[in-house]
Amino acid sequence: MKIQRIRRTMSALACSLALFIGCSGGNKGTIKIAAIAPLTGESAKMGEDISRAVQLAVDQWNEKGGVLGKKIELYAEDDRADPKDAVSVASKVISQGVVGVIGHYNSSCTIPASNLYNEAGIIMITPASTNPMVTDRGYPGVFRTCGRDDQQGKVEADFAAKVLKVKRVVILHDKTTYGQGLADEFKKNLPSDVEIGLYEGITRGDKDFSAILTRAKSVAPDLLMFGGLYGEGGLLTKQMRDLGLECKFLSGDGVYDPEYIRIAGAGAEGAYISYAPSAESIPSAMAFLKAYKARWPEVGPYSLFAYDAANILLSAISEVKTTDGLKVGAYIHHNRFGVASGTIEYDEKGDPLNSPYVMWQVSGGKLEQLDGLTPKAVSVETH
Amino acid sequence: MFLQQLINGLTIGCVYALIALGYTMVYGILELINFAHGEVYMLGAYLGVIGFGLWQALAWGGGPTVTIIFLILFAAVLAALWGISIERFAYRPLRKAGRLSPLISALGISIVLQNFVMLSKGAREEVFPDLLAGKGIDIAGAHISPVQMMIFLTSILMMAGLTILVKKTRIGTAMRATAQDRVMAQLCGIDVNQVIALTFAIGSGLAGVAGVLVASHYQMINFYIGYQAGLKAFTAAVLGGIGNIPGAMLGGLILGLIEAFGAGYISSEYKDVYAFVILIVFLVFRPGGILGERVVEKV
Repeated sequence: MKIQRIRRTMSALACSLALFIGCSGGNKGTIKIAAIAPLTGESAKMGEDISRAVQLAVDQWNEKGGVLGKKIELYAEDDRADPKDAVSVASKVISQGVVGVIGHYNSSCTIPASNLYNEAGIIMITPASTNPMVTDRGYPGVFRTCGRDDQQGKVEADFAAKVLKVKRVVILHDKTTYGQGLADEFKKNLPSDVEIGLYEGITRGDKDFSAILTRAKSVAPDLLMFGGLYGEGGLLTKQMRDLGLECKFLSGDGVYDPEYIRIAGAGAEGAYISYAPSAESIPSAMAFLKAYKARWPEVGPYSLFAYDAANILLSAISEVKTTDGLKVGAYIHHNRFGVASGTIEYDEKGDPLNSPYVMWQVSGGKLEQLDGLTPKAVSVETH
Repeated sequence: MFLQQLINGLTIGCVYALIALGYTMVYGILELINFAHGEVYMLGAYLGVIGFGLWQALAWGGGPTVTIIFLILFAAVLAALWGISIERFAYRPLRKAGRLSPLISALGISIVLQNFVMLSKGAREEVFPDLLAGKGIDIAGAHISPVQMMIFLTSILMMAGLTILVKKTRIGTAMRATAQDRVMAQLCGIDVNQVIALTFAIGSGLAGVAGVLVASHYQMINFYIGYQAGLKAFTAAVLGGIGNIPGAMLGGLILGLIEAFGAGYISSEYKDVYAFVILIVFLVFRPGGILGERVVEKV
């Protein structure tokens, strides 16, 4: 009897599988693109921001009639911020026949996944991966709309040395391609008279950093620089204030998010973060901001970059009138794109020619752009 | 710095110990590694957030101390109910099915609970309210925050209470009897099912308390915090001698200290490595754990 039941279940399963296979054959008349970012896990918010912005761009194109006379179909996929998942999701969307990918978020996911897109001849534009390696490998179809960590690390190091005039720094990173990469660029660009008191890695997903922060406190730094994302960044800031480490805190675009301030609480006050200029200050971004806010409450740090990336991909496809990755890639390399964040023009590697980083500071519980790199007078409160 | 690292280590060690107790009690009675236990801790943290929302919605007022006591009790009671239900539906039907089946069932429950919380509460972090903001105290250059003091105090009370319960009460005697010989205990008139349910309730309640304590300390929780905490607590339980209650407490504290001193004096890059190297070393050379051989009673 038991065997019969198993047999019945198996045949039911087989039938439902057959149904699925039957489904995937359809939809020949669409152009498929994918938005891949972490939709679960610690960076889920960033992934959501990215896939929403791409969704907005795709919906706007579809309202105008799609591209090459076909509707655009968006596959929003989750790479869980994990390089292994990123690779398997990449192979999945390639087999589904997408012609371009907007993603990934983490450099550690973008780099291995881009190998697959390159082999498959698919365009990939990342809105958020700032590690130099992403474009330094000379793949013809790999682009980004954000900046590079060597640019970012230099802006941060100059700010720390010339404006904050720090003498001794502690550098922490999360051991990821992005976090360690940024920390290394920061370290490299510091003038030789700035002493590096401690340079260490922490583990992503860890919640307790009191041990390493106690060690950081013992070298009495003027500044703690962190290369990593907002989850750990927020906890580090909160815990360093709890331990009575009152030095300044500086981090990169991975920490640029209101979630950072929510997690760090009052300890975030006065923290410095390098990031692109505010979308609110860019006249050409107004239409995007209005359309985005009509559907979702909050524009995230990578929403604009993701929206631009989708628009660049789709307008290139509509201009060259083919979805052939090599031709689309060549077009993107040799043309200028008037997008929401301004005009983007690519160099031979696939980086935007000018990607200005500016410094921001947490002030009154909000992120504020510093003009002329002048820090605000903020008293850091510890408890 | 030494004193500060000691405090850091003891704080996290207390939490490991509270979670490890649940592992060890269940193992003592059923010889089952309850891999869903870490998820109960995660549920406890979320129950703390829900309890806080409830507290505010009902506007009961009271100071931060009253609120935190309410949250701890709320999470403990509901986590205990979760524990009882898990035992009833995932383990009891498999009690005669050998040792592997309940283990797989435990892994399944763990996945179910993680995804349940992910779908119902979302994949993003929840920020736990800062209830015990304050200066804390400084001793010889080391700083103890009010939350750390609360963690010490609550853990000590919980562990003392548990020890008294197990050693001095009729229920404790019944638990020890069941751990030694389930069939014999049944013949003596002990309702074994009830004792097992109670063990799950106590273990899960402690994990729920640990969840609230950790959430109020780090103020950031998400649906997969149970995975790592569960592994660490399991390590602590093995370190102390699985099935042994004082062993779990000792193992938790030792593990916390190893992590803090390792990260503080050697390198924080290998913080998790220290914990799991210890686990492997103990599994290979002393599978009974530190207190595993000296104490005969399992619960």
